[in-house]
This record gives sequence, C-alpha cells and structure tokens, in this order.
Amino acid sequence: MNLKFAWRNVWRNKSRSIIIMASVAIGLFAGLFVEGLYVGMMRSRVRIVIDTEVAHLQIHHPDFKQDYDPNFTVDLDRIKDSLNKVQSIRKVAFRSITQGMLATTTGSAGVQIFGIGVEEEGVVSSLNDKIKEGETLDPDKKNGILIGRKLADKMKVKLGSKLVLTFTDRENNVISGAFRISGIYQTINTPLDERFVYIHRERLNEYLGLGDTCHEVAILLNRDEELDATKTELLAQFPEYSVKTWRENSPETDLMVGTINQYSTIIIIIIMIALAFGIINTMLMSVLERTREIGMLSALGMNRIKVFSLILGETFILTLIGVPLGVLMTWISINHYSVVGIDISSFSEEAMSSFGFTSIIYPEFPWENLTSVLVIVVGTALISSIFPSLKAIKLQPADALRQ
Amino acid sequence: MKTVIDAHNISKTFNPETIPIHAVRDVHLHLERGEFTALVGPSGSGKTTLLNMLGGLDKPDKGNILINGVDITSLTPNALIDFRLKNIGFVFQSFNLIPVFTARENVELIMQLQHRSKSEIEERVRTLFQEIGLEDKMDTRPAQLSGGQQQRVAVARALASKPQFILADEPTANLDSKSATKLLDIMAKLNEEENITFIFSTHDPRVIKRARRVITLVDGQVHSDTGPIDTSSDHFNTIEKE
Repeated sequence: MNLKFAWRNVWRNKSRSIIIMASVAIGLFAGLFVEGLYVGMMRSRVRIVIDTEVAHLQIHHPDFKQDYDPNFTVDLDRIKDSLNKVQSIRKVAFRSITQGMLATTTGSAGVQIFGIGVEEEGVVSSLNDKIKEGETLDPDKKNGILIGRKLADKMKVKLGSKLVLTFTDRENNVISGAFRISGIYQTINTPLDERFVYIHRERLNEYLGLGDTCHEVAILLNRDEELDATKTELLAQFPEYSVKTWRENSPETDLMVGTINQYSTIIIIIIMIALAFGIINTMLMSVLERTREIGMLSALGMNRIKVFSLILGETFILTLIGVPLGVLMTWISINHYSVVGIDISSFSEEAMSSFGFTSIIYPEFPWENLTSVLVIVVGTALISSIFPSLKAIKLQPADALRQ
Repeated sequence: MKTVIDAHNISKTFNPETIPIHAVRDVHLHLERGEFTALVGPSGSGKTTLLNMLGGLDKPDKGNILINGVDITSLTPNALIDFRLKNIGFVFQSFNLIPVFTARENVELIMQLQHRSKSEIEERVRTLFQEIGLEDKMDTRPAQLSGGQQQRVAVARALASKPQFILADEPTANLDSKSATKLLDIMAKLNEEENITFIFSTHDPRVIKRARRVITLVDGQVHSDTGPIDTSSDHFNTIEKE
C-alpha cells in the first residue's frame, strides 16, 4: 500500500515530479558525460603514449636513464631472438639515444638524439605517419635527420637545411656531425617535437663508437592487457636489464590519469550538491503542501516509520525513473560524439597539445564508473529526502489538522 | 454500561508564555459505551481542543484521560499512534480523504495499517459501503464525490478499524441539509444497531437534535451536561431552543 500510495503521490503534481525526474536525469547525464569525456581524453592520451611515444614496454641497461651514458647499452645478440619467441609482442624497435646540441646558422638548442631503424620505428611509434613535410629517413642517405615542426620553427630551418649535431662518444670525446633535414614531423605533443630528433641508428652508433647495439628496446604488444604478464616474463628472461611499463616510463601520464579522475569526482560532487538542493527544495514543498494530509494520516494511526518511508519512497520512485532516462541520454550522446568527436581546437588547441592531448575528444561511455555514479546519484536523492521526511514525521497531528 | 472515556481535570493552554489562551479548563468527562454525544458551544469554547485531547491528537497540560482504562496521556508518541489506530475513529469537518485513493482504498488503508487479511478487508469494506449506501461509488476518487458522499466515506473509514468510539469534529459543517440528514441517519443507525459510541463537536442544531447527550462548553469549561437524555423529552426541546 505504501508503494502504491507513494506512486500515486508522485503523479499528484505531474509538472513538479517531471522537474525532479529531469533534474535527476540531467544530473546523471552531466556526471556521466563528464566522466565519459575524461575517460575518452585519458584513453586517447594513453593510446598516444603507448602507440607513438614510449610503447608498452622498454628495456634499458639499469643505469642508462640516470645520465644517458652511451656505454650503458643493451646486448642485441642476447635479446633479439628471445624477444621473437614472446607471443604477446607485436613489434620491437631498437634505439640508440644520446643527449646533444643542435646548431644551425641562426642558433642552437639542446636535443635528444634518437638513432632508429626506419621500418621498425614506423610500426612501434608510427613516426613515418607524423611526417608533415619531406619524407622519412632514406637508407641511402646516411646524414638525413628528422626534426619536429616546433624545433624547425624555433631554429628557423626548413626541409633540406643543414645542421650540426654535437655530442660526446663513449670515450667522452666531443663529436660533431653534419646532417640535412629530410623530413619535418609533427605530433600532438609539442614539447617532444621541440626536443626529439631522429637519425639512422647505424650512423649514431658510428659516431658514439658503438657496434651493432642500442640503448633502448621499445616493445609494442598485441594487447594492452598483456602488459604486466609480459613485463614479468621479460624480467625473468633478462634480470640484468631494467624492464619498465609505459606507466613507469611516462609517469606524468599516469599522474594525469589519476588527477583527472579526481577532477571528475569533484565535478560529480558539485553536480550532486546542486541536485541535492533541488530535491530537498521540491520534496520539502511537497511535504509542506500536504501538512494537513500527513497530520490526518498520523491521526488515523499511520506510524512515523510509514510516513518517513512514504516520503522516501516518493523520492526513490522519482529517482528510479530519472536514472534510466539519464543513462539513456548519456548513452545516446556519447555514442554520437564517440564517432564525430568534440572539437575544442577553437579555444584550447595549444593548451591541449602542450599536455600531449588531441584537440578532438572522443568521449567513451564510462561503464567502469557507471555503478559508482549511480550509487552516488541514488544515494544523493535518498539522503536529500531525509530532511523533508523528518519534517513530515515531526508534524503534530493536531497542529497539522489546524492548518 | 462500560466506561469508554474517563477524563479527569484536563486543561489545555495555548501560548502559555506569550498571550495564554485557556482553551480547556478543568474538564471532567465520563462517557459510556453506546453514547451519542454532542459537544456544543460557541466558537472558541474549546470543543475541538477537547475532542483532540480525547482522541490523543493533543496532550493536556494537566489531568489525565483514560480510554478503556488506558491512560493515553502517559503513552509515548509511537504507542499513542498505535492506540489511535486500534481504538479511535475520526471524522473531520473537511472530510480529509486521500485524494489519490479511491473511496474503497481510503477505507482499506486503515485496515491495511492494522495488517488485516485481504479477505477480511474485502468483506468489511463491502459491509461498510452497504451501510453508508455508496456501494456504487467504491471505485470513485473523492474529487468525483459530493461533500455528503465524501463525509459518508470518512465515516466508513472511521468505522473500518472497529474502534471503541468515533470522534467527529463538526461533521456536518460543510454539508447541505439533505446530506447532513443522510449522514446523521447513518451515524444514528450505527449507534443504535451496533452500539457504536459517537462524540461530535458541533454547532449544527440538526446534530444537537439527534444527540442523546449534550455537553455545552463555554470558555473551555463544561457549562452544562444533560447526561444521557430521551430526545422526545421537554428537557431536549429546551436545549434545541437554546
């Protein structure tokens, strides 16, 4: 009877009930859509980090990353065959790396020089796809170099321009080499575009005095889920090397994922506070309008628990109708925007790019967070109705009937 | 006769700390089962306040009220609600039916609060609607009923819990003459045939005429009490004229 009573009371004032349901639906939509945007942004950022920057896993000499000493190499003969046998690995890129100075006739800049294999890098970091001018490194032109758009603009150089790289070899001798720009690349991560340059690995190894070896092995896996298992397997096979996941190699991305999750939680809390006040206001109005009736129910013998649960039940019904509406609205809009994307380039392209994000966001429905958001919304609605319910049970029947 | 209500020296003052209004003062009242009693008096004489206290809706500042030997002034709020559910029926001046329920559901509500069985509820509802003559309006919502019909449903609701007595606050105040007469006929019949105790607060001469005991309140005090009377007596005619 109480449920039937609550249901009928919900429809007593249709427009007010529809407003509460819409508030719940819109509150849920806003919360889930914000979550969807963040999930989309973070997935896209993580994808970029894995597919174009640090790959899933990297193997280094344990001391290499401390000061990029060219002597700390990885023994290619030892690991190449073993890596080929690991099922979860899709592609491997071997890189030689050193820090150096890039000089042109107009100035100089500190850079990180990557010696790469063109074919393998094309798969592991999609480098070839990012070349906006010119072409990738030509195996026949040993002094070709790829530099980022940002660096090219800063150094006022263009395709075909000559430049000099200076760095130290494994004997600590200062070495200089002249290179000609064969391609200018552009990623969505401008800080990297300003710092990373790419030349042939054999060429860099010659300058550094290394043989057929490298400093970094970047590994792309078939599936993201195989990350931890593959790391464990590689660590067991190569205990003398450091094997790190993208989270460890790009801690700023991992931090950003955590921070953005916190931001989305804060935004959801703000939305829920607004929703709570809306529900308190409306349910209180509903109780105050029925003061006399509630007093009469109490006079007839409806106990406080039943009166309390009646008001709570009304809010619960309103929420139960609002929740699926909100989920449906979110699902429809996220389904649409996950295909067409939300282009925010007109007001924040540079800011997004400087943090390594694309300016087109493809939101994803936050299935993982759906339960927690639903619990928060339903919880907020029920908690919000406690005050009006308490108000109802505190009514003295004689006073209420006098009104 | 069995005593239903025994009120001792009850008083009620509103706004005791600002402008005190002594609504009821030192009232003693003793009602037996089967009485058909009218509480009369001018506006502000304390009829409704007294009725509320007898029904456990208001607590007296002083004195105590025994219903069937139970001192309701000492009951906790929850126990008092339960006591009202089981022992007291109410009929209000403005009907106070639940607008979202049908007439039948309004009556059923009380029995459902008492956790009666479905079959018992169905049978009792049918009987009650026959008694009030509204079998054909059972599934009608209050808004579609006339004032008189609504008040008859309110009487059925008050009777649904098989209470010890029914308190009716100005039950005919919002009714036309025909509806008021019909309602009084029903209540009088229930009183005579089923020995149900009725206590009314009223200004209505039609109710006073039908009452078998008239208690007059003035300024919160019992000014006169006829005791159980024969409605055809000279004494009753005097009251009617007053």
